[in-house]
Amino acid sequence: MSLSTTGITNINNMAPELPLQFSEDLLSTPMFNLIHSFGADLHYAEAHIGRTTRMSRYERLSTNGGQLDGSGIDPSPEVVVRTDVDADMEIFAKTVVINEQVNLYENDKVLTKFTALLGQWLREKEDLLMRDLLSSSVSYLNAVGGVNGQQPSEISRNDINNIERILLGNDARTMLEVIEADLKFATSPTRDAFIALASTDITPDLQNVQGVLLKNAYPHQEGLRPEEYCSVSRFRFFVSSKAAKIPGISQPSGQTVYTIPMYGLESFAKVDQNNYSAILGYRPPFVVSSVEQNSQLYAKFAIARAITNQNWISGLNVTQRL
Amino acid sequence: MTLLVQGSFKSTGVAVNIPIPASADYFVTFNQTQAATTQATGRGIKFEWFANPSMATNAAYETFKTNSTNALNYNLVTTGGFNYYAGYPQPEAPFTGTAITAASPAVASGFTGLPYNNGDRVVLYNTTGMEIIGGMQFSVSSVSTTGFTLLGLPAAGFASAATNVIARRISPFNQVLPEFMYVTAISQAAQAQVTTSTINTNVIYVGQKLVFQIPTSFGMTQLNSNSQPGTQDIPYVVTSIIDAYNFTINVNTTGFTPFAFPASTLSPTAPLFATVAPAGSSTQYDPIAQTFTGYNFNLQPFRSAQEFPLMNLQAGAQSPAGSNNDIIVWQAWKAPVSQYASNA
Repeated sequence: MSLSTTGITNINNMAPELPLQFSEDLLSTPMFNLIHSFGADLHYAEAHIGRTTRMSRYERLSTNGGQLDGSGIDPSPEVVVRTDVDADMEIFAKTVVINEQVNLYENDKVLTKFTALLGQWLREKEDLLMRDLLSSSVSYLNAVGGVNGQQPSEISRNDINNIERILLGNDARTMLEVIEADLKFATSPTRDAFIALASTDITPDLQNVQGVLLKNAYPHQEGLRPEEYCSVSRFRFFVSSKAAKIPGISQPSGQTVYTIPMYGLESFAKVDQNNYSAILGYRPPFVVSSVEQNSQLYAKFAIARAITNQNWISGLNVTQRL
Repeated sequence: MTLLVQGSFKSTGVAVNIPIPASADYFVTFNQTQAATTQATGRGIKFEWFANPSMATNAAYETFKTNSTNALNYNLVTTGGFNYYAGYPQPEAPFTGTAITAASPAVASGFTGLPYNNGDRVVLYNTTGMEIIGGMQFSVSSVSTTGFTLLGLPAAGFASAATNVIARRISPFNQVLPEFMYVTAISQAAQAQVTTSTINTNVIYVGQKLVFQIPTSFGMTQLNSNSQPGTQDIPYVVTSIIDAYNFTINVNTTGFTPFAFPASTLSPTAPLFATVAPAGSSTQYDPIAQTFTGYNFNLQPFRSAQEFPLMNLQAGAQSPAGSNNDIIVWQAWKAPVSQYASNA
């Protein structure tokens, strides 16, 4: 992996296209699927009251006992339990400094395009921060239903069903509604479903899972996101090339291990900061440079993140099938 | 070249991570303590790192004194220098060992040239004979170039020792804290004692709530949520920290199924691993001790474990973080334009 180069963007490290002819259309800038905020509970942090946001939940009461036997003795009162989940607000930023000669000689309107790049960075960085939360602070089980001889194995139907059992056993609620059956050949309805997030590296294995329903076989395509790949059992899978993985640690052969968060409603949260929404900014040359030759674009945003209910999120560690 | 940031610290003889948000093109440390003295074996007093062209892992340009005199020498060292991390580090190169003892604590041995420090975190795999720990993360202690101790692995109950092991050093923390941890033992007691494979410092605190995920292969599935009808099914609470690998929870486990690793022969089909994950906190006030628990504002919030980029300074007599009690001054410099840039 090469390190990104820092410093001023100038005509030395980004020489103009000429004398070649410049096509009227720019080519596409790669962008990975942004999946890791799907289903995140959105909260807001007030300004001027510290950087830590507290989210609290009252736990349900015990169902033991409660019968009145006519003696007049009251049942003992139960202490209500509150669980507090805290998240620290953190601010992230990216900047680009542009020399005037780039602006002068480049065929394209670089300030406009660089602003778009920074906007893309905002969304991508936020996505990866949410991914890191899910991969760091959640318990995962190793898949063991596969046949590749690794621990964890490739993903299998039994492993997926086991996670459904855990979530249902913990009273987790599904996030996506039923897609009802229709009179279309080769389609099948999907149940109300939990969400699963997976790496694009394991899409061949997803296709091999018993009972997989690829997205094109859903009865209705309206409203489906391009990031969605398939449905298995009670889960609908969304994929990204940047989903979490750890290279070289599986037993025994040291294969890459992929983590697949699988969750229901209100299992994790993303907290926005009031008075500090995502910002794209511009500093003109007379501010940035003593001879007005460099201008600056920047993007910054604030975010806090937290797992709000560990009982409603779980997942699998998997490897690829060889 | 602009001096972006400067700082200092008193060495404790262990590696130091210094966040440098604006990155650096040149990083330098000065050992003020060793500059003012001489040693029988001359020590390093200045260590330099350049971003472009990039330097090898653990390398540094070292200025060091001649034995017992102030005469200076200059050299490129390839171990014990700097490590620059632009982002969260990936597992390092593997080292192969020949054994892990079935003892408490377990000891891994048979490596060659291990560069690890006490407190580092490793992931182990290809653990022949102990397949059921393959893929787990451990903190290491009593480190030498040939082995280390796994204080978080009480392996005396294992059927056999491991006859092979591969270790890769990883980051000492996940990207976000508090993090999930691997559970290697749980006692049957009025307040169960939980042992984790990695150091619980900066992760576990009194008043913290936890949710366990214990696969059937480990026994003690009663600790899983919703396993006891009629109760509130609320997360368990940490009641005390015993040491860096052990803490207690507010659960009486005396009647629970004993916790034990599955037999190695059951791998790779035995469900793995037993883990515990952070689930918030329980705020309580003790009127006798006049103390709050569950108000740990340092460890409680979900937060980034580490800022990046950062510069990792290795410790030692010939390393930038110096030896115990050395006063180290560091500087991070930045060039406005790097003329040898390669941004392709």
